[in-house]
Amino acid sequence: MNLPTLGLRRGNSTGKTAKLVPGASESLTYDEHHEESRQAQREADRWLVTGTLLMGTMFIGFVGLPFFLRGVWLQRKAQKAGLSVRPIIVTLIGYLVILDAALNSLGWSLDLLANHTLLNRTIITAWGNMFDAGYFWHYNELGIGGAGAPGEKSWEVALILTVFTMRIAAGIGFLQMKRWGHQWLIITCWFGVVIWIGYTFNMTMYADVRYAGVVFPVVGWWLYDIFYITPFLAIPYLHSVNREIFSD
Amino acid sequence: MSTLTAATDQPSENDLPLGTTPLYARMHKWLKRALFVCLFGLVIEGSFTMPALAVWYGWPTLSFTEICSELMKVRYSDDTLACKFPYDMPGPPFGTAPEAAGQHTAKDKWGVQPVPQYPRLGFRELVRIHDERLARQAAEQQAAQRP
Repeated sequence: MNLPTLGLRRGNSTGKTAKLVPGASESLTYDEHHEESRQAQREADRWLVTGTLLMGTMFIGFVGLPFFLRGVWLQRKAQKAGLSVRPIIVTLIGYLVILDAALNSLGWSLDLLANHTLLNRTIITAWGNMFDAGYFWHYNELGIGGAGAPGEKSWEVALILTVFTMRIAAGIGFLQMKRWGHQWLIITCWFGVVIWIGYTFNMTMYADVRYAGVVFPVVGWWLYDIFYITPFLAIPYLHSVNREIFSD
Repeated sequence: MSTLTAATDQPSENDLPLGTTPLYARMHKWLKRALFVCLFGLVIEGSFTMPALAVWYGWPTLSFTEICSELMKVRYSDDTLACKFPYDMPGPPFGTAPEAAGQHTAKDKWGVQPVPQYPRLGFRELVRIHDERLARQAAEQQAAQRP
């Protein structure tokens, strides 16, 4: 089943609905409607993509937020006008899991590949000193540099190369309302459960390394990282949405 | 009759977003709200992380290189260490030895679960540590110059 579905048009305040209903005397043709919806979605996506790219830089994320919100607003407007665009929650989940994976990959790639840059040695180790000394304790002493906490490097390599890359690809497919995008997002979001349980248990096993001498230990870490639970929020939606809206 | 009442309590399919069935309408509404909270949380937190950390650890009184050096001194309990900037290219992980290779001054209680012994750093404490060290060094220098 394809995304643009004439029968599923919503009511609106502009009075357009009546003429958009199939069979009405002034109705648009399917092709016209399809084209109009595609253009509206494309216009919204332009803002959403720009916003997400900027938010994905982390440090200038505040610049991206207005772009993103404008994209959401445009899409909402198109939806109210009766066009067949993506549901808002699909847009939110799709872009947010991409953002979540991008932000995680950014920090971990810095630690993995750019661990001797001044920015990394100052900001990442300062962050480590404040929330998680895995990024402070014996920093840049390992042969490949970066975090020296037991197990940390393995998580970085494993997750950057598997889950996060897969999740970004799945997010793109999901935003295109493809069935494989929906299916792969389910897989990679459940991966998230494995990540959180494995990662936090590893931290707990080496709790002294991670939290002794830290400014805001444990609770601080949770407060900082709790916003990365987006993939968990996606799971109930992915399992309860009518999957027929995702096409092959 | 009760079935009819129950049915009218739920929003009709036409009022709901595409893909949302009446059974899950409320859950989807709350998920959407939580997603917006996460979005704002990630963006605000991401944007403020660097400036907040920089200020906490002494910027602008200390430059980034100085903060980097002070953190190194604390980490390895060695006042002679300094952050090398710019770092030689190609640096680690591309072949050469990392900055802290072979250090033996860090204080830890070693065991299967090591316990670091460095102190907890308070708000702008690095500035105080930095200034005190400079004052100490200046005093030592003056004392050495006295006949």
